[in-house]
Amino acid sequence: MEQVKEKKKIAAPSPKKIRLAALLAVMGPGLIAGLSDDDPAGITTYSVLGAKYGYQLLWTLVASTIALIVFQDLGARIGVVTRQGMIGLVRQKYGARSGTLSATALIIANIGTMTAEFAGIAAAGQLFGFSKYVTVPIAGFLVSFLVLRGSFARVEKVFFLVSGVFLAYIIAGFLAHPDWGQAFKGVITPTMPFTHDAVYIATATLGTTLAPWGLAFIQSYAVDKRLTRDDLKLLRVDVWTGSLLTGIIGFFVIVTCAATLNKQGITIDDASKAAQALKPLAGTLAKDLFAIGLIGAALLAASILPLSTAYSVSDLTGRPAALDDSPKEAPLFYATFGAITTLSAILILIPGAPLITILVITQILNAVLLLPLLIYMFGISRDKRLMGEFVATKTMRNIYAVIIAIVAIAIGCMLWFTVFP
Amino acid sequence: MKTPPVTGINTVAKRLVGRRDSVLERKTIRESLVSVAGLINRPVKDNDGKLIGKLVDIVVRHGEETYPPVSGLIVKVGQRRSFIDGARISKLTHNEILLSSTKINLQDYERRSGESLLDADVLDHQIVDVNGLRVVRSSDLYLAPLDKEIRVVGVDISFRSFIRRILPGSFGRRATPEHVVDWATVASLADGTGVVRSNVSRAALSQLRPADLADLIEDLSGREQGALVELLDPDLAADALEEMQDEELQGLLRGLPAERAAELIARMEPDESAEILRDLTEDHRESILGEMETKVSTTLRKLVSFDETLAGGIMTTHLLITHEADTVGSALKLLVENRDRDISDGVVVVDAKGKLIDHIQIVELVAAKSTTPLSELIGPPYPTAIREDTHLDKVIEEFNNNRGSSIVVVDEKNKPVGRILADDLVDALSSDGENPGSGGF
Repeated sequence: MEQVKEKKKIAAPSPKKIRLAALLAVMGPGLIAGLSDDDPAGITTYSVLGAKYGYQLLWTLVASTIALIVFQDLGARIGVVTRQGMIGLVRQKYGARSGTLSATALIIANIGTMTAEFAGIAAAGQLFGFSKYVTVPIAGFLVSFLVLRGSFARVEKVFFLVSGVFLAYIIAGFLAHPDWGQAFKGVITPTMPFTHDAVYIATATLGTTLAPWGLAFIQSYAVDKRLTRDDLKLLRVDVWTGSLLTGIIGFFVIVTCAATLNKQGITIDDASKAAQALKPLAGTLAKDLFAIGLIGAALLAASILPLSTAYSVSDLTGRPAALDDSPKEAPLFYATFGAITTLSAILILIPGAPLITILVITQILNAVLLLPLLIYMFGISRDKRLMGEFVATKTMRNIYAVIIAIVAIAIGCMLWFTVFP
Repeated sequence: MKTPPVTGINTVAKRLVGRRDSVLERKTIRESLVSVAGLINRPVKDNDGKLIGKLVDIVVRHGEETYPPVSGLIVKVGQRRSFIDGARISKLTHNEILLSSTKINLQDYERRSGESLLDADVLDHQIVDVNGLRVVRSSDLYLAPLDKEIRVVGVDISFRSFIRRILPGSFGRRATPEHVVDWATVASLADGTGVVRSNVSRAALSQLRPADLADLIEDLSGREQGALVELLDPDLAADALEEMQDEELQGLLRGLPAERAAELIARMEPDESAEILRDLTEDHRESILGEMETKVSTTLRKLVSFDETLAGGIMTTHLLITHEADTVGSALKLLVENRDRDISDGVVVVDAKGKLIDHIQIVELVAAKSTTPLSELIGPPYPTAIREDTHLDKVIEEFNNNRGSSIVVVDEKNKPVGRILADDLVDALSSDGENPGSGGF
């Protein structure tokens, strides 16, 4: 009897007009989780892809963006409907071992990724002549201070502000005067030289765009933002906007490097070197914009990563996790945040720390972790008891399955090339 | 009655649930605890040791009993998940599950009302720890024979036991009773078909402060949230809801059946109800109002229509109205009948046409003889009266001018329709400035 009533109520039409104020209130999870995927590792991958293959592999970014839209949308919906974070749901549905294993892998991978974000800050800081012993601790304190002292609303506002820095890449893209015709062709024609390097960088693009910590984050963040089922329509706008922007910024990074570095035959191996190489080709402004974008990207991701980890750890143990809780109310949440930030900062500051090894292992771990997480999400999306009337339709299930299959193949290739370079 | 000094969490638990002893303190039970997490996936055999299948889940029956009895097992036999009646279990220890007969019902298990599955619905799910006032995940559940049946007697919420379960082999299955708390001190909300109805956990919940309950409700996930609200006594639930944060409450109300939402909202103070209803979408509001008695919904509709910046939008409509011919005794009786309401500091006196004459403080009533007619007490200071459409700024001004603790709100015919108390004003002002992000960072 109650079931019937509930159905009737939800079927009632929700407000049809999407009002701007309402949209702005819901905005956040998609935008922030999406843009933080354009972290220094992401910018590096895009730069290398553009510098080495010009416009040719732009379509891999399009494919990654589609996968990002589909799974961020699912993650946000799971969060809103179940009001639980991903790791908590994995523990609940798949048992203690699956939950702990995923959480442990996520923690290790996140420490590695956080180290990469600090590396990005260090590299970008050096472009402006600041030592990493200054920039990294400052960045660490900034993000910790923000999350420790801010309420949810305030923290979110700062995230939005930092996201604005990504505009720098769009301007830099125009300054590089790319060949728009070639770029368009690269977007719509999937061609690929079958070499180790090309397959590797294409997979890396997918892996850096669709990151495990981003998926875990969007779900927990939607819970923490206390979004409800009525917000789902607007949330979809947020997720699409965020994911598309993520793709668009990636696009501009790639065309910037394609129009300059690739044309001159300059190869690079990280984003800060790309910025440096830009100076004689596209001007000091382009170089500065590229470097500023890198700092912004690193700061955003460096705030999200420990937060995502803290959500996941609290989720696994079933302890409170909310930005509006005080450290006294949610000690585990804040302790995890602090531990991840501190550990990664130390890793990057130790002289002679095997950074390259850390980054490679992180990349592999993220790739290996992505697949089970996507499969868990797929399983949760089909669970009628968890999702109620928001259970995935047959069409959506097929789409999820196809993307998971493609991701599996790509990860297989990547692992193959990592083991046999 | 003497209350023993509180020495530890167990004492608090006992006090909360009103029990003298926990079943876990009985030696026979402590020694026969079986870990549910350890049992899942274990082989199920018959008395001769012949393998029947693998244990998938344990079904318990909920009723008025504190410790839910096992009503059966779900066993994977071949590709099928069969239900095996609890009466056929001949032995259940952490090593062995033996059945007394090999006859297997070949029908797939289907959920029945009033039952839940321990692995699928309770283990690793959120539960309310009534002692610790928090929402936790259950790390393990424990079965033991009690009152001729195998029952869930304990729950483990420690992280250590959760980690134990990851260990391979028999290490993972070993019971660790040192972390077990009595099942009666938690409220499990994971349910298949209805609410887990344990009188004891309900009684324990009813002792909590509304504000604590509100925190608990906010910490729960969607399904469990609704279940907890269903479990509570409606008056207590209404009080707890009043304490919840706006967005949380909105979300919760959307998840509840309109009938239940209407029941709860109708039990709140009308000004609070109106404030909540005002924030809902029109369709949702109407569906809730439609479930209320016409008298209540008419009042609320009117209140909702007032803007929150007008006197009518912030006033409370509860008034204790008396006529000038009434006696002091009847006025006092009225006050006593309404002692739970925060408006019970006096009565409003009206004339034969229902127009406002005075507001008489309880002190004046107490000082007078009970047979005295109220008309004799009428006199200055007269209450400040304002119209429903008076703006909030003006209301504040009036409060300032009079230094009183309340103002009477009247309609165009000077009939009293409500009062604004100081706390209504505080509410109105604080919701006005409720924008935590407005400051610079």
